[in-house]
Amino acid sequence: MLVATNVLFLGIPVTTGKVVATLQTGDPEHRIATLCLLMIGFALATAVTRILSRIWIFNAARAAEYELRGDLFQHLLGLDGPYHATHPTGDTMSRLTNDVQTVRAMWGAGVLNIVNTFFAFATVLTMMIRIDPWLTLWACLPYPTIVVAGRLFGKRIYKTSMAVQAQLGALSNEIQEDLTSIAAIKTYGLEAERRARFVASSQQLLGRNMALTRIRGAMGPVFAGLGSIAMLLVLYLGGRRHIDGDLGLDQLIEMTQYLARLVWPTLALGWMLSLLQRGKASWNRLAGLLATRSTIVDGTGPGLDAAERQGGLELRGLTLRRGDRTVLSDVSFTVAAGTTTALVGRTGSGKSTLVEAVCRLLDVPPGTVFLDGRDVTTLALTDLRGAIGYAPQDAFLFSTTIADNIGFGYGAGTTLPRARAEELAQVGAPPTTSVLVDGVAPSRVIEAAITAGLARDLDGMPEGYATVVGERGITLSGGQRQRVALARAIAADPRLLILDDSLSSVDAETEKVILDRLRVVLANRTALLISHRVAAVRAAHQIVVLDDGKVVEVGSHDELLAAGGAYAELYRTQLQGEAS
Amino acid sequence: MTTPASTAAPAAGPASGKQDEQVLGKAYDVRLMRKLWRFVRPHSRLLLVWLPFTLAAIALELAQPYLVKVAIADHIAVGKLDGLATIAITYLALVLGQTLVSFGEQWAIQLLGQRAMHDLRLASYDHVVSRRAAFFDRMPVGRLLTRMTNDVESVNEMFASGVITLATDAVRMLMIAIIMLSLDWELALLTFATLPLLALLVNYARSAMRRSFREIRVRLAAMNAFAQEHLSGIKVVQIFRRETAASREYDVINAGHRDAYLSSIRADAAMYALVEAIGVTAVAVVAWWAVAHRGASASSVATLGLVVAFLEYINKFFIPIRDLSAKYAVMQGAMAAIERITELLDTKEPDAPPPATPIAATPVPGAPLVAFDHVEFSYGAEPILRDVSLVVPRGQTVAIVGATGSGKSTLIKLLTRLYEPTGGTIAIGGVDSRALAVADLRQRVTVISQDVALFTGTVRSNLALGAVASGRTVDDAELMAVAARVGLDRVLARRPEGLDAPVSERGGAFSAGEKQLLAFARALIRDPDILVLDEATAHVDPETEALIERGVGELMRGRTTLVIAHRLSTIRSADQIVVLDRGRVIEQGTHDQLVAAGGAYARLEATFRRGHA
Repeated sequence: MLVATNVLFLGIPVTTGKVVATLQTGDPEHRIATLCLLMIGFALATAVTRILSRIWIFNAARAAEYELRGDLFQHLLGLDGPYHATHPTGDTMSRLTNDVQTVRAMWGAGVLNIVNTFFAFATVLTMMIRIDPWLTLWACLPYPTIVVAGRLFGKRIYKTSMAVQAQLGALSNEIQEDLTSIAAIKTYGLEAERRARFVASSQQLLGRNMALTRIRGAMGPVFAGLGSIAMLLVLYLGGRRHIDGDLGLDQLIEMTQYLARLVWPTLALGWMLSLLQRGKASWNRLAGLLATRSTIVDGTGPGLDAAERQGGLELRGLTLRRGDRTVLSDVSFTVAAGTTTALVGRTGSGKSTLVEAVCRLLDVPPGTVFLDGRDVTTLALTDLRGAIGYAPQDAFLFSTTIADNIGFGYGAGTTLPRARAEELAQVGAPPTTSVLVDGVAPSRVIEAAITAGLARDLDGMPEGYATVVGERGITLSGGQRQRVALARAIAADPRLLILDDSLSSVDAETEKVILDRLRVVLANRTALLISHRVAAVRAAHQIVVLDDGKVVEVGSHDELLAAGGAYAELYRTQLQGEAS
Repeated sequence: MTTPASTAAPAAGPASGKQDEQVLGKAYDVRLMRKLWRFVRPHSRLLLVWLPFTLAAIALELAQPYLVKVAIADHIAVGKLDGLATIAITYLALVLGQTLVSFGEQWAIQLLGQRAMHDLRLASYDHVVSRRAAFFDRMPVGRLLTRMTNDVESVNEMFASGVITLATDAVRMLMIAIIMLSLDWELALLTFATLPLLALLVNYARSAMRRSFREIRVRLAAMNAFAQEHLSGIKVVQIFRRETAASREYDVINAGHRDAYLSSIRADAAMYALVEAIGVTAVAVVAWWAVAHRGASASSVATLGLVVAFLEYINKFFIPIRDLSAKYAVMQGAMAAIERITELLDTKEPDAPPPATPIAATPVPGAPLVAFDHVEFSYGAEPILRDVSLVVPRGQTVAIVGATGSGKSTLIKLLTRLYEPTGGTIAIGGVDSRALAVADLRQRVTVISQDVALFTGTVRSNLALGAVASGRTVDDAELMAVAARVGLDRVLARRPEGLDAPVSERGGAFSAGEKQLLAFARALIRDPDILVLDEATAHVDPETEALIERGVGELMRGRTTLVIAHRLSTIRSADQIVVLDRGRVIEQGTHDQLVAAGGAYARLEATFRRGHA
């Protein structure tokens, strides 16, 4: 298609030449109308092939972008906790957006232009040589200079753009640092000091951008100027040859028309090379990401049938390290199926790490964690996690309805941010459906919500279950968010329920009500619950006290209080529980 | 398909929680441009530098085809060699001149753009930093960062290849039209006969792109929001085994995004190719007219030169139109970015605003240094503090005890006016804190929190921050003396660089205990009237623990202190103890009084003693 475009496009200078010849000699054969129609015909034919080739290439690039993005997203969802913990969401999003777009630009505009430039030069040069090889040689004289200049400029542009990017990165880091420490800046009265740093950084960015402008500003005119010099050579030398009678005027003008065809592809060359360079860098990053393998993978042992799942848990000498820090050290205890075990310990003692290890959100060595007597590393992840309902400490919710967030626990509902779904509905159909049918939530959602003590809160919200949780759940209070996350875990109807400090932001009365209801839910389930509050843990069959990654005490509430050890001390030092 | 959402009015008004991508479609918005003008105007003198360069560049460029015409018509075609060299040299001079003035043009306009963007960045920074603390609870840092970096860059892009290029293109086209008309008005009018066709085409492409861009933006926003949420909540996704379902849902949005480009790709291709075709058609028509009406006449040679010149002018006339779609996309992106930035700049919520009615600022003699009087605070609908009253007399230490979430940290944030109480007053030396200048208030109070804020730099630069508010300069001798007083000297001795030891973001290379000592030293340099201490609960080794205790002791000596206490030793030695429970003060008194009262504190203390027995 591109070949056709370029060949058809040549028809235009050829006919132009003929028209000029007619102008010179008069039009005795009345060919002018035909020639002009021919010219228009060539133009229209070129337009058709050009439209088709552009559509084809750009659509192909979009299709490739779609595939790449889909693959990346799927791959990212499968990568393990440690990967996501060490790669900030912002960075990963930048792979998924900026890098994918850069690669697409390389495939679309980059490839289109390179192929186009190649064909344009090939066809134009062929035609020019046919007319006058000697003049063509002269006309081509400036082009090697363009290539050399392009390389020189290219290198400097690359270096300078890197400097601009680096400064932009530094500026972003400064903004990030200032905004995350905003409270300290305000209370220490550091506004002026930090502002001065920001101004200096922004000035530096300005300077580097101007350096880039100077190089670019020099490159564009140099390229255009060299093209004009080629034109000048053809006109001057060709003009002399015409006067000498060696070259027809129509041929001379045809030559200038050919040269004009090369101006744009030449100008585009520099831009294209930078597109390719950036595309390559992005592609390498994406390839690296796609080559990253998850260390937490399905075990290959026999499956765990639903009937076999009781939720019995055993830890045998579990030791986990993060970097060179030991987070859990030789942790062993057993949670009999159908019983409740509470995990307590000060901040940083390893409680959350322990429950994440049980879910294999963090990987564990073989032979250390057993679910219903089976080493969890031999189980398929879906079997393991299918047995677990987990309410994590940060109570992450999706910005969709409360009902859909709860339904998420049992694989129902949509996770598309509600605001986006509404916008999508305006331009087309939203991709998924809510668990709500005519605003009514399914009974499974309602039951879980009641157990989690949400009923009264939902009554107070005009939209009830259809209330949309803002981005990061900001429209709900901390306690409400925790309870939605709790309801989500309950709705999963798991054999093993893990609650990581799920009631820390809930007031005492509500906590009591929820604990009473939870008792019913927990009656025939195994539970592992982390809490700082005596009220929440005192009824547990067993309390495990962690300190600095080690199990320091195991026993019931009364036993541990009587022992006057770490458990008793923990509640004193944190001034918890008894004060209420 | 009709959904309830599609029949609803799109934007309910500026106050309705507008999403980032809701303002769509417009490639040029006068209201927004006016807002941007505020940042351009201070540098508008550069426009005066830019204008002559631009006009010169256009003139030099457009003189070239005319020279070609002269060369062909007056020299080459008639075989006159004299003067051809002069024309060639003139041509070369024109090319060189154009190169030089184009450089000047680029330089001037970029400098204008960069300076305006610098101001815009600074205005955004100033605005954001002066918002109250609650603003930052609501606004993710990432979004604010995007406003100040990416969005400002897109506006800058508009300078480089958007609005300015459009303006110069318009001038260039106008000048071409004038040249063509003056060269030969008949041929020029013939060329312009294609303009209605062009207008139709541009109009079609514009509306197709506008529709398409709106759809693309919505889909892109949905896709990114979806990915962002699933990556932030990856733990939840994985534990509830929603990976496949999420991939499927993402695929639908992703495919919709891909398909949304179809019509814009078509419009872009049609525009590009058809504008070119129309250009060639104009050339053909001009040539035909020239041959048919003047061909055999005596002026045929002159006509030849004319036609050649017209070929070039027509070509130059059509190129800007052909590339319009690319500029259109840039403009649209920039408009959306300006909209988002101005929306940010329009956010209210200033930090610690002066009171609506002036409050007397006369100090009351004998008043306690700090007094909370019936203070209420709620966050959204959630009450955090209820009817809290307490006083800290000058030179005394008051310890606040209470469970996580009882409102201890909120008390501190109210004292420094990071948050404003919803009821009651806080007085400093008998003066309502709202009557004090915020800078003065904050200079008198130093807060040391568990999470010590350190900034990228060195130990010296971080310590020196303590002297910033008072405008003092501190020398190394003073820094070392202060370091020795809190025990930081031992930390520095372990590092070969000493005071120049590098501090990375958030104090990466320092342990929690070391960061505490740094904070103590910094606070000593600040030498505040009121010290507020949030005792660290983080686990530290016994040696550091002892160091910290010594440092705290040094810091608190003779100073009015409000301490959120976690250690029995701190609590016991306090002049007064305030017990907070779920936002209320439930007990208040000295250690002995509270133990004697036999309330919550007494029970607590009993378990303490049992533990230590």
